[in-house]
Amino acid sequence: MPMGLASRMAANDGIQFCVFDSRRGQQEGQEIDKILFFFPPDSPFSAQLSVVGLSGGIITFTRLFSPDAACEVIEEERHSHVFYQAEPDIWMILIVEKNRDTESVWRCDALRDILKEVHSLFTMFNGPLQTLLDKQPSGELARSCLYTFITDYLTDFHVGKKIQMPSFRDCLKERRTVQMLTVSREMAIEVQSLANVIRSSSGSIACKSLILFQDLLVATMLSPGDTANMFAYAVLRLTPHALSSNTRSWSYLRRGVSASNVTESATLLNAGSRTEEYPHGSRDTSPGRHSQRNYIPRPLQRDKWSKGKDGFLVSDVRDEVHITPIVWLQETEEHMYLCVYQHRNLTIILLIPVSSLIDGEQGIALVKKQLLENASEKIAYVEEKISKGWGGENAYHVSGYRYLLVDSDRSISRASPPGKVTTLAKDSFLALNKLREEVDLEKARASREKPDHEHNFEMCIRAKNNAWIIAKIAQGRELYMVLEKANETLLYASEAVEKFSNRYCDGAFSLD
Amino acid sequence: MDFDGVFADPNPQLPDPPPDADPSQVDQISSLTLEDAGDAASDEPTAGNESPPTNFHSERNPDFGNTNRDADPSPAEQMSSLTSENPGDAAGCERPAGNGSLHANFYVGSNSHHPDPKPEAPSRVEQISSLTLDSSDAAGAKRSASNGPLPSDFYLAADEIEIVEEVSPVAGDTAGISALGGHGAWREGSELDGEAPPSPSSSGYAGERGSSGASSGIEEVDGPGTLPDDWSRGKRHFDEDDGSLSWRKRKKHYFILSHSGKPIFSRYGDEHRLAGFSATLQAIISFVESSGDHIKYIRAGNHQVVFLVKGPIYLVCISCTEESYDTLKRQVELIYGQMLLILTKSVNRCFERNPKFDMTPLLKGTDAVFSSLIHAFSWNPATFLHAYTCLPLTYATRQAAGAILQDVADSGVLFALLMCKHKVVSLVGAQKASLHPDDMLLLSNFIMASESFRTSESFSPICLPRYNPMVFLYAYVHFLDVMDTYLVLLSTASDSFYHLKDCRIRIENVLVKSNVLSEVQRSMLDGGLHVEDVPLDSSRRSRSLPPQLAADNTIPEFSLSPAITGGPSGLWHFIYRSINLDQYVSSEFSSPISNPSQRKRLFRAYQRLYASMHDKGTGPHKTQFRRDEDFVLLCWITQDFELYAAFDPLAEKAQAIKTCNRVCQWVRDLENEIFLFGASPFSW
Repeated sequence: MPMGLASRMAANDGIQFCVFDSRRGQQEGQEIDKILFFFPPDSPFSAQLSVVGLSGGIITFTRLFSPDAACEVIEEERHSHVFYQAEPDIWMILIVEKNRDTESVWRCDALRDILKEVHSLFTMFNGPLQTLLDKQPSGELARSCLYTFITDYLTDFHVGKKIQMPSFRDCLKERRTVQMLTVSREMAIEVQSLANVIRSSSGSIACKSLILFQDLLVATMLSPGDTANMFAYAVLRLTPHALSSNTRSWSYLRRGVSASNVTESATLLNAGSRTEEYPHGSRDTSPGRHSQRNYIPRPLQRDKWSKGKDGFLVSDVRDEVHITPIVWLQETEEHMYLCVYQHRNLTIILLIPVSSLIDGEQGIALVKKQLLENASEKIAYVEEKISKGWGGENAYHVSGYRYLLVDSDRSISRASPPGKVTTLAKDSFLALNKLREEVDLEKARASREKPDHEHNFEMCIRAKNNAWIIAKIAQGRELYMVLEKANETLLYASEAVEKFSNRYCDGAFSLD
Repeated sequence: MDFDGVFADPNPQLPDPPPDADPSQVDQISSLTLEDAGDAASDEPTAGNESPPTNFHSERNPDFGNTNRDADPSPAEQMSSLTSENPGDAAGCERPAGNGSLHANFYVGSNSHHPDPKPEAPSRVEQISSLTLDSSDAAGAKRSASNGPLPSDFYLAADEIEIVEEVSPVAGDTAGISALGGHGAWREGSELDGEAPPSPSSSGYAGERGSSGASSGIEEVDGPGTLPDDWSRGKRHFDEDDGSLSWRKRKKHYFILSHSGKPIFSRYGDEHRLAGFSATLQAIISFVESSGDHIKYIRAGNHQVVFLVKGPIYLVCISCTEESYDTLKRQVELIYGQMLLILTKSVNRCFERNPKFDMTPLLKGTDAVFSSLIHAFSWNPATFLHAYTCLPLTYATRQAAGAILQDVADSGVLFALLMCKHKVVSLVGAQKASLHPDDMLLLSNFIMASESFRTSESFSPICLPRYNPMVFLYAYVHFLDVMDTYLVLLSTASDSFYHLKDCRIRIENVLVKSNVLSEVQRSMLDGGLHVEDVPLDSSRRSRSLPPQLAADNTIPEFSLSPAITGGPSGLWHFIYRSINLDQYVSSEFSSPISNPSQRKRLFRAYQRLYASMHDKGTGPHKTQFRRDEDFVLLCWITQDFELYAAFDPLAEKAQAIKTCNRVCQWVRDLENEIFLFGASPFSW
């Protein structure tokens, strides 16, 4: 009989989040074994199975016609289901509910970026899910890790008691990209020399580092992908903003954060007992009592990092063996110790290869000591110089423009400051959100048709509120722009783009 | 309580197996009887079984054996036979099967003798479990394999297929197809494209003039009596099903199915063999519906699956053509409208009486109508513009045609239309009656795609879904002697055949005497507006009349040199839509977009532009400029008109804008010739 269909969104949280392994639970009656994570965790089995059932069915169905790209989106009148195939058999599904109010308008690719971000951050701390599943085929370990990790991650989306996903109002932001600090040539040389000092201070050990000023990246030694992940984590939990603000907006990519409910939920970890016949009623698929919960590192848990006396951040993020957290770099497939040094606005992330330290924590202590001895002066100097030249939170505001500039090859973006963006009219946001959706489809279409081709594309719309909504793709870069107080002619709008491009984008979007 | 694996049942039971395809029609009748009892309770017990089907429109299905193509029963006789049997049928409610032009009544009528002993509603578990696709596919394939030989009329509909991508798993069963194929081979054209190559002249804006006459060799022959094109002959690839790789690779599928999962129509493949697939679609829809929501679409890579639920009728489009959701939804809505045009909405009652009602027989013989509509989705701007277009004619000529149509409209005709292909020559409605552009599109498609209308005068019940989806109107259709020009007189009275015939004779006489028909012919040959003729500056306006409208037939001076590059400033094409008139005018294709694939690309680009400008949440926007590797597109929407223009991708913005202004001015200068004014009040 059909179970729980009507109650698919019973837990009226506005969102459902599911991670499942399509290879597991093939036997009839064992489908629950597919599920590795489900939010809300107290959803009845029937609701969870309904989501996995529909998702699995649609994935199979779409593969009939599109074997290379299975389902990406299911759009219903009142829900959007966004799919992300995180690993060959691992699917992540985010279901968002469209409320009656008009605020629940979003862009599917923006929602998928959340899934991508969760997965890449998870992988950074835990390695690929498939590896965890191979390590412990029962799935307990993977479930435990996912449960704490995603639940901690979702706390950043809590607004009041509800979870609020990014909406159309966030269309001038780009998740999974890095925001860079632009420095003068002279300053760039200073930063470079600081990076050299940091590297040499660790002696023969091949450390890597990232340098951030406030929530902006100054220098990195990692690949663009690893940089984006590390940057995202730093902005979430490590930068001075992240450390100081547990209750207010602390990053302009994130919304306000309220007290987490993870502690509360964590008790659920021990709530149910996993039996062979899954009993009726509400039982979460979060890990049972036999999970090694004491040893599951929770790098995204709030208040896990604090600043120590020596300037290094102290973490409570630990597993059974290591005190210093370990991250896994995708590019080099290396495990690295994560050490963070902070001086005022400057955060230095030092990554030490696990394999190069035989003596573990002692070795780390030595590297830290050497860093302090060799680089602290230089760090203070650089911090002071950057602070002096820093234009404040509106440093990248361009009067008259509301813009987002994305360099997807290098995973970099720059946007109008959030305080300025909020001045836009709702209609402008909606129109830009829609435009971005079109561009997303256009980009996907172009890259399917001519994958190795550089795509150039331009769209310029005068919306009904008379704002100009502009998108331009050229030389691998994307520019999105809203001009609200502009003249009505198309030529005026084009000229405005041209000026912006010449002044701020090295003419990348200039035509002639 | 065990949850039994929503999607994991390896052996799903299909909710609703289709009626077996039977070797002969007689068998088919009896098998249908078993499937569809109950719905026929209200039918006349003897309807049509002993006598030929009561079809006014006697030659609708030339491909099917039970219609005698040569027999020419007098329409009057047919009409009177129906009226005597079914008084009050005009309402059309009780008897959609009573659409005399369909053979459906033949089958359905016989059902009343054999009530179904076990009507079963499909259980939800069955429906849901059939979402396990691999297995349901297999089930579907097996099922069809066991169907035995297909009925002979199926063979006749399936013709020789030149390109066979893959041997279908059931090839053995259909081995006889090519041998039995009665008609010439299909031209496969650009398959697996899945869509017939756009036929330039059928598009109505083909550049037949010398300046743009790089014809591609696929042009149809427009002689009277010849078939318009392959797509109009009905379904292709009849031997495919969801197990065939070639079927899965088709670019655009359309399905109509019933809420119990029974297939009603599939663009490709035999509906009966797609029962398993159809059940899967039904399961997806009902799974979501059971959670209190409604599925709109699924996206996977470049594929999109669009769902539309219309009461007991489900429509699905599976496409990898990159058209937007709004565009595809609009297309399935039109397909639904086309179905209503043939059956009226009262077909829903059949499902109320019997959820397992099999509708396929009701639509038998109409494949060509659907194929041609689907083909129109890739060339006819009316399919997305919500507007119709007129054949360019001098004001006086159109007035003359309008006057005689108005005469008959005053005598009890609801609508009188004189059309040439999909273009309106003139149109008149009775007082307060207005004809929606969508209805005109569906009606002209129905007439143009049904071969039998061309051979004699016809009187056929049809429904105009936007006018009133519940009732049949009666259409008197007569093709005139000028190519593809026809007169349609619509009446609410089922006994109006003689009257309409008289009207037609009167109209025809006037049209011949007043030279309207020869003007129509000339306009057809000359084509419409050419971008090469867009005046370079406003002082030359008067000289820029298209040749067919100018006093003499001299070719305007600019048409020679810019022919290579299109119009001024790299203008390649434009569509101008008058909002108040619900009419559009589209230029002929200039030489830079002379080949079919370029045209289709442009057509799709226009569709995207239209969808983008008219977004439900944020539109309509005022202006849009778009540049990609293929085109510069400009759209401008005001209170009075919408302009869509395509330029060379390297066109300069400022010049393009200037040219758009000129085009608008030019169209306004010509509006008396290219638009129909003073038609009945259009007030929807």
